[in-house]
Amino acid sequence: MENLQKTVIRRLRRVSPGRIVVYLFMLALVAFMALPMVYVIVTAFKPLEELYKFPPQFYVENPTVNNFFDLFSSLESADTPFVRYLFNSVLVTVLIVILTTLVCSMGAFGLVKHTPPGASVISGIVVASLMVVPQVTTIPTFMIVNGLGLMDTFWALVLPKVAVAFNFFLVQQFMGQVPNSLLESARLDGATELGVFFRIIMPMLRPVISTLVMFSFTSAWNDYFSALVYTTKDSMKTLPLALQSIAGGVGSAALARSGAVAASSFLMVLPVVIVFLLMQRKVIETMAYSGIK
Amino acid sequence: MRLRSDTRHKLEGYIFILPFIVGFFLFFLSPLIRSITLSVSDVTKMVGLSDMTLVGFKHYVYAFTGDVEFIPKFLQVITDTLVNTPMILVFSFILAIMLSRNIRCRGFFRVVFFLPFLLGSGYVMSVLLDLGLDQMAVSGAKDLLLTDEIKELVGPGVVNVVDEFFSRISTVLWKSGVQIIIFLSGLQSISPALYEAARVDAATEWDIFWKITLPMMTPIIFLNIVYTIVDSFGDVNNAMINYFTDKCFSENQVCYAAALSWIYFLFVAVLLGLVFLFMNRIVNRTVGQG
Repeated sequence: MENLQKTVIRRLRRVSPGRIVVYLFMLALVAFMALPMVYVIVTAFKPLEELYKFPPQFYVENPTVNNFFDLFSSLESADTPFVRYLFNSVLVTVLIVILTTLVCSMGAFGLVKHTPPGASVISGIVVASLMVVPQVTTIPTFMIVNGLGLMDTFWALVLPKVAVAFNFFLVQQFMGQVPNSLLESARLDGATELGVFFRIIMPMLRPVISTLVMFSFTSAWNDYFSALVYTTKDSMKTLPLALQSIAGGVGSAALARSGAVAASSFLMVLPVVIVFLLMQRKVIETMAYSGIK
Repeated sequence: MRLRSDTRHKLEGYIFILPFIVGFFLFFLSPLIRSITLSVSDVTKMVGLSDMTLVGFKHYVYAFTGDVEFIPKFLQVITDTLVNTPMILVFSFILAIMLSRNIRCRGFFRVVFFLPFLLGSGYVMSVLLDLGLDQMAVSGAKDLLLTDEIKELVGPGVVNVVDEFFSRISTVLWKSGVQIIIFLSGLQSISPALYEAARVDAATEWDIFWKITLPMMTPIIFLNIVYTIVDSFGDVNNAMINYFTDKCFSENQVCYAAALSWIYFLFVAVLLGLVFLFMNRIVNRTVGQG
């Protein structure tokens, strides 16, 4: 017992005051950075009278799930059931993530590991297009989608988000890390190019692929703009757009439906957090390389 | 035989890139080119946009001379970006340096700093900002720092600056997740041998920061500047983006909206070009010194 006390005291002495200040500062920042997330989670379970408290509280006294029932009932009064929006969102997000991952990593593989003539031109155009603010192309993309007869289909929500310059660039930066000798030996063993891609490239690039999945999942899941532009029917709306319309638009506070809004924010954030926690270790590993090269 | 297999290899490369190129051309490059034509035309029939007449730079001129809403909104977005970008960069740099030190629970801190990014800049974040959550979060700190006595002491000028700082700080911090992680990776890639050599030569921590850390980080600082600027100008909650969308889809002024978006894009491109030139000079100078 005495020994334990001594070690604790010795340990405490070794901690310099500078370190304590750094840790205190970091803890304050942690509290601050976690604030929006904590607020979203807590608010979803607040009963009505706590929702209107001012200043708002970051904890809940009498947790309730009524907000979720409110949300479902306010959505169900419309012609389209809630599940339909959820289905649309899940389908669109999953399609975008799968297609963009495949198309962009295949493209990067062809460009970096086969270096066909014109490869440097293509990669130059891709880098330059990173600087284009996406809204520049919104109107003509709308015209093209309209011209192809894709309005009010799932393809209108998916196809424009597949060949994304940023995703291509990200994978391209990592493709060089896969040693050519490995690919050569696989080819000598009779592997086809598709085999090389799926059996060697994809497993070796798993960290960057996880990053890509997380980024595209987050942006696809949160995106309401595409659905706003490319769909007119209620049954084609995605979840964020539907939730926004019950909240009465972004700008207005929609006080009457605060509970439903709080529950909807929670439902929007939940899948993203789950995907992030699943991918987190891999993602941070990749980010640790992507800055350098 | 050698040549044939080589050609075949390169052809296979094209096949792999093809899906990307088709998608990229169809939904990015061709819309980009088409928006130039739109911006110098007038459309009489909205359906199918069939009757297009070239009108030259009419829309561009109108944006600056006739449209009373455009310039104030544009200036607001520019000021927001120009003020927030340095703040985001400085904060994320400081945080990354702290995280790169040997502290416990580094992984935990990294996850937490990344959380606001997950909320995105879309629907959920706009609800939170509507509630004034960002102001609430810092009001405690502000009241502590700016008591009435201090306010009187420093005068209204300084008070305004501090007020402005606090009104931005929370959004700035919440937008720094990606930058922190990019900086952190850059810091970890600096060879420890450099630091050791400097310490052997009796350099202070201060010297080491200015003579080693900062110069070695210039390319990564550049990367982060580009990311931050593009992210800020492309934010769906910003006033200009909302203005295009209104013009285009609510008021059906497709051509005018195209011209507006090109003014916007050209401005961003020029700004990034200037940043690039400036950073290039700094990089050259530090390389020259080394």
